[in-house]
Amino acid sequence: MITNLLSRALMMSTPLLLGSIAEVIAERSGMMVTAIEGIFLMGAWGGFVGTYITGSVSIGILTAMLFGAIAAAIYGFVCIFLKQHQVVTGTAINILAAGFCTYFQRVLFGVPTSPLKINPLGKIPIPVLSDIPFIGTIFFEQNILTYIVYLIIPVSYFVLYHTAVGLMIRSTGENPEAVDVAGINVNKVRFSVVLVAGLFGGLAGAFYSVGYLGMFTNNIIGGRGWIAFAICFLGNWNPKGAAVGAVIFGFAEAIAIYMQSIGGGEYFPNELFIALPYILTIVLTVSRKNFNVPAQLGIPYIKGN
Amino acid sequence: MNARIRDMIITNFLAIAAGLVITGLMLIIIDINPVTVFRAAIITMLTDKYTMGDVLLKATPLIFTALAFAFTYKASLFNIGAQGQFYMGAIVAIAVSLKLEGRVPTVILLIIVCILTLLAGGMVGALIGFLKARYNANEFLVSMMSTYVVLSLNNYLLRTFLKETKGEYPQTDAITREAWIPNLLKGTRLHVGFLLAILVAVGIWVLLYKTPLGYRIRAVGSNAKAAELSGINSKKIYIITFFISGALAGMAGFTEVNGVQHMLIQNFNTGIGAAGLGIAILANANPIGIIFASILFGAISVIGNLMGRMPGVNVPSSIVDLMQGFVMIFVIIAYFFRAYNENRREKLKLQKAVGK
Repeated sequence: MITNLLSRALMMSTPLLLGSIAEVIAERSGMMVTAIEGIFLMGAWGGFVGTYITGSVSIGILTAMLFGAIAAAIYGFVCIFLKQHQVVTGTAINILAAGFCTYFQRVLFGVPTSPLKINPLGKIPIPVLSDIPFIGTIFFEQNILTYIVYLIIPVSYFVLYHTAVGLMIRSTGENPEAVDVAGINVNKVRFSVVLVAGLFGGLAGAFYSVGYLGMFTNNIIGGRGWIAFAICFLGNWNPKGAAVGAVIFGFAEAIAIYMQSIGGGEYFPNELFIALPYILTIVLTVSRKNFNVPAQLGIPYIKGN
Repeated sequence: MNARIRDMIITNFLAIAAGLVITGLMLIIIDINPVTVFRAAIITMLTDKYTMGDVLLKATPLIFTALAFAFTYKASLFNIGAQGQFYMGAIVAIAVSLKLEGRVPTVILLIIVCILTLLAGGMVGALIGFLKARYNANEFLVSMMSTYVVLSLNNYLLRTFLKETKGEYPQTDAITREAWIPNLLKGTRLHVGFLLAILVAVGIWVLLYKTPLGYRIRAVGSNAKAAELSGINSKKIYIITFFISGALAGMAGFTEVNGVQHMLIQNFNTGIGAAGLGIAILANANPIGIIFASILFGAISVIGNLMGRMPGVNVPSSIVDLMQGFVMIFVIIAYFFRAYNENRREKLKLQKAVGK
């Protein structure tokens, strides 16, 4: 039972990890990706449509990443090059993404009598490793997206802290003038980073449609993009912190699903478990004291100011 | 006319037009002639009294949620949780109305319900403001998450204590006519809540620009540190601002439950928090501008619904969200062009002065 629960927790933390790492990388450069909820949704829809139409999960996942990147590109263009407010622009993108997905879902598939289904990603046990008792089942019997995340955490940590590119990204968020003087185009750095966040976010969205449920509904994301956004804050803008945060939230979701499945509703209302991750976010936001906020977070760079 | 106001009108008009044109393109993709459907919908809207009433009816809750966002925005705070505060107001409105109907006269009932919804939304808001003031919690995150928590509470109550007496669906009983907000215009669904919304918008304008409290709120908004130095308790302002903001969103629950729906169902008006934010931005957080921007959004949603119901053509009703989203994006882009124009004018002025 406990293995099952932990394995489920790791699975549910996959998209949150992807989303929060995307957010960490972007916010380190000074860009709050407040469009993350919309990017997740575009990814979920793109993944579903790509898979449903072509029958290939790989194409579906690529479509998801592409759609996530498109939403991020619009967001980045308005915020970086037109220097508009990030929270406001993000909200607009989120509304637009919701409208876009619902509209084209209806245009492509009409109003089907039974929900359209695709085969969700299967679990791939890794030979040898999955035979390790306890740990093997938890860590090495997951779907492909979780394995991708295993790679993304150390790679993003390494890139961010041990490479010139990482230094450039972090400096852009702390002191864009210095970056500019060094001959690097601040806006280009930020835009590229937002695009990467879009690719990751799209992949995260695909987890819900392609990787887990095997279908698309309008409220499939239901605020999880915002949770990823919160995890980035709570993890102190660090991939390691984000990883810990995402696993905690994944665990909360796994418990919610588990309690519902064993009929915990008799003692506690189901809604309490559904609200659990959100309550947890509020509690953690309140209790977190020291923040290492990137100095230029949310502030557009205007040359010669 | 003042060049800035002229710019604002022109750019916003172009932004709205651009939003509608691109929505039209989305219709062309699915082989529908946008000109015909838009024309038919707009003509119906302008000539049919009932439909025109619906535009103002739809605008009513939006005025409240837009004011809710705008009010915190003036203090450089973000209340993204208007949706949750609206749900809180709606829960209280239906619960109190069901308890009191038939026991007290309509006017007194409505006044009590209005005050209680205002307090309910305000308490949720004040809690967010308190967490911000006391623990320096990020109000953006907390308000965002509060919506989902209130939504869960809402669903729980609809399933249990507030469930209809028939016991079939997770929804409440309908309230009787005695608890309805009176009709404003015969032959339409428009109710007195619309007038209330306009009065409140004007009141908020007065509060912000003509009272000491409003001055303090705006001072904290423009520079919290400087305001603190001049003796303004910014923590108190955070809580007050969030209370008023939440109260405004809560009142939308009152007008929607007692004025339109007359019951509470699951997934009730899911988009009005986000639309309110868009409206506040469109109006540059000006309370009076919000009235007009809300009517515009009301018109968009009525036009979208009309197109969705048009016989012969098959327009998905989600065209409303698409239209609102595109209009919002272009309105934001319009800000860029306004700033650009403003800069150019300043430059010209300087060049002239130097040339003399």
